[in-house]
Parts: sequence; C-alpha cells; structure tokens
Amino acid sequence: MILRSAVLAVLAATAACGAPSVQSSPAAPAITVAAASDLRVAFEELGEQLHAETGLEVTFSFGSSGQLREQILNGAPFDVFASANVEFVDDVISAGCGDPATKTDYAFGRLVLWTPPGGVAPSTVADLADPSYRRIAIANPDHAPYGKAAEQALARAGVLDAVGGRLVFGENIADTLRIAQSGNADVGLVARSLTIGDGRDHALVPEDLHDPLRQALVVTATGDRRAPARAFAAFVGSDAGRRIMARYGFALPGEREDPR
Amino acid sequence: MDDWFPLWLSVRVAFGATVIAGGAGIGFAYVLAKGRFRGRGLLEALVTLPIVLPPTVLGYYLLTNLGVNSPVGRAWEGLVGEPLVFTPTAAVIAASVSALPFVVRTARAAIEGVDGRLEAAARVAGHPEWRVAALVTLPVAARGLTAGVALGFARALGDFGATVMVAGNIPGRTQTMPIAVYDAVQAGDGSTARTGSLLLVGVAVVVLLAVTQLSARER
Repeated sequence: MILRSAVLAVLAATAACGAPSVQSSPAAPAITVAAASDLRVAFEELGEQLHAETGLEVTFSFGSSGQLREQILNGAPFDVFASANVEFVDDVISAGCGDPATKTDYAFGRLVLWTPPGGVAPSTVADLADPSYRRIAIANPDHAPYGKAAEQALARAGVLDAVGGRLVFGENIADTLRIAQSGNADVGLVARSLTIGDGRDHALVPEDLHDPLRQALVVTATGDRRAPARAFAAFVGSDAGRRIMARYGFALPGEREDPR
Repeated sequence: MDDWFPLWLSVRVAFGATVIAGGAGIGFAYVLAKGRFRGRGLLEALVTLPIVLPPTVLGYYLLTNLGVNSPVGRAWEGLVGEPLVFTPTAAVIAASVSALPFVVRTARAAIEGVDGRLEAAARVAGHPEWRVAALVTLPVAARGLTAGVALGFARALGDFGATVMVAGNIPGRTQTMPIAVYDAVQAGDGSTARTGSLLLVGVAVVVLLAVTQLSARER
C-alpha cells in the first residue's frame, strides 16, 4: 500500500494528461463520464433523463475515485470526472487535466450500515465491536473515499482496533456492497445511494463520525466535447438533477442537514 | 444481455493479439529451441514472465511504458494524435503480452519434438538453415504451433488485469467481455454477468478441446 501511494504520487507529479482525442464528429453528441461508484444508480437515471431531454449520449465508467483520478492523469479520454471526494478533483485540476472554472460541489455522500436480509442489524458503528460480526466490508481506504470515511467512523466510534482483523476491503463502494450482498461479509459500511433501491432501512452512520464526503466534479473534456460535458455538469446541479440525487439519499450543497 | 459490443471488441482484440503473439511467439520458440547463445536462459525467463507475474504488475509496467509520459506514448501521440493508453490498441498490446508465453512454451515443445533426422536430411540436401526451418521444422511442428496459437487466443480473449489497467473500463470503447462481466457484477446485473461468463467459458472449452485434439494426433 505504501508502494502504491508512492507510485501514485510519482504519477501525479509527472502527469501530463492526454491531448484532445480525435473525434470523428458523430451524428449525436456523446460524452464519457468517469464517476465514483456510489453514483452508479443515480447517474444512470440522470443520464437517461438528460438523453431524453437533449439527445446527448452519456457513457459512464464507474470505479473508485482514486482509480479514476489515476486513469485521468494517465490520459484516459474522460469528459467529466465526478469524484466522491473533492481532493481527487483538486489533484486532477492541479495536474492541468481539468478546467478549474467548472469545479462544482454536487452532493454529500452518506454511509449506512448494510446488513443482508435476516442478519442482525447493528444500530450504531460501535455495535460492530461485537465479534458475531465476523467480517465487516468497507471500501479500500487507500483510494476509495467511502472507505476512508468508514475507517474514520470506526476510529471515532472507538472500535477500529476491535474490528481491525475482521475488515475486508472492496475495490470501490459498489464492490463493497457486493461483498456484503453475496453473504461474504456480515455487514458492510456502504454508500446510502446504492441501498435506496432495496426498500429496507439501514442505520445511517452519523455525519460527525467522518470528514464530510464532499463530492465534486470537474469538466476534463477538451475540444468540441467541452460544450456537451459542461451541459452534463450543469444538469447534475439543475433542479431536475438535484431531485434525482436527493431521491438516492444524497445530501445536497446548500441544503445540508444539520450534522449534529 | 442487451449489449454485444464487449463480445465483439473482445473477439477483435483477441484476433489482433493472436496475430502479434503468434508471430512473435513462434519466432521466440524457434530461437529458444534451436539457438545456443549466451543469455538464452534469461530470454526464456523474460518471455515466460507474463505467466507468473500478477496481471496488475504487468499492467503497471505497460502503463508506465506506454502512458502519456513515456517515450513510446509520446511518440504514438505525435503520430496518431491521441494517447495510446485507454484505447482498444492498448487492449491489444496487453492481451498480446499476456498471451505470448503460452504460444512460446507450446510452440517450443513442438519444435523440439521434430525428429532431428528429418532436419539433418534437409541439411545434407544442401538447404541453408532458414530453408530447413521453413520446409521441414515448422511444417512438421505445425500441429503443436497451432495448439500454441490457439492457447494464446484463449488467453488473449480472457485477459482482465493488465487490460483494465492500460485500457480502462470505458463502455463502448475499451470494455472487453471480461471487463463487462466485472462491471456487471459490480452493478448487481446478474443476468449479464452469467451470460458473459458462460460465453467465455464456452469459447475456452472449445479452444482447449481443439488443443487436446491437436496434441493427441501428433503422437
């Protein structure tokens, strides 16, 4: 992990992102959005609605924010980067790969304690100290913002040492939920946005247990895809976009719940 | 499964990689089987490396050597106008490197299995070494060479780790079948994951049966 961080640091320090991709002016405008895994369900709906309204074709590449940042710094042809943490957006901008004027906060992520149907649901993070939770899934704290937040929550609840040996890491937050859903972990600290669809209540991790998951995006497009990329970014922050994000359990900038 | 692009891309990538790994692999196999030179052991170790190395290590080296900051990556960008990494071409390169050792090892065994008396007879008839290879060694070893190329194809079709690092997971552009399966699992899309996996298992079984047939008839 130390090696990996070092490698990332070197990559970031020497990065020069890709030149404008050659685009054979397609009939319908199309862009590719690199998006954090917690956005999968919400952004797919958002993309469909934008397509219905404007004809813009949006393709998503989902991954952990850290992995996507690394890909952008290495020249991946993404037009928008929607991160689960603003720091990764700042990295991309300081490497010259994103337009600083387009940096926007669009949501605050929340963690829930997800248990499979029939499992014993913990009501607080501290409950995880109970050894009957044999495996606890969190996203990899090294490169997934939700994993870092989960680690902070465990530490601030005073149970990080107690659960240390029982943690299993997902590659990103969707992978983490998959580990829990497949029964390979008894509980997962996952993004609320991915669990809204299952219709069950999962204990929300209090916001003061971790640094805010301040999610930001930036336009990384060059050339003639800059305009449609900006249209997508604007749609995320529009009333219609905010309604979709709110429905998937994101807290929105400007109308945050009182964290305490 | 409603999107056939990943399968189509995988087939194209695997064919491209098979051409590259097949040609280079048979060349390496011949040199390793026939050559007596210093560093032969090292060369053998190097071409076998992709079997043993974690695909992520392979992917990392490819990314640093073909990426936008590498001499190769810069030269490519100067020629083509877009970065080499995160394109289907990068997927072909990753699959070629992964497939190479499978071709080399199988082809080398086939070349070493050719009866030396046949080659000696051709030499006595006055043929230079390259003609001995073209007229005797390689045709006699053809079944084993085909088996090696088929194994290389199967390996190229299934590559995940190195490909996802240098080509990424961009639907409709670099998302090959194995990556689509991974993505479907992440999305909780069980039906796509099942269909994709079954297709890949099916192709692999067919190729391996063919390889067994080719090897059996040789004996």
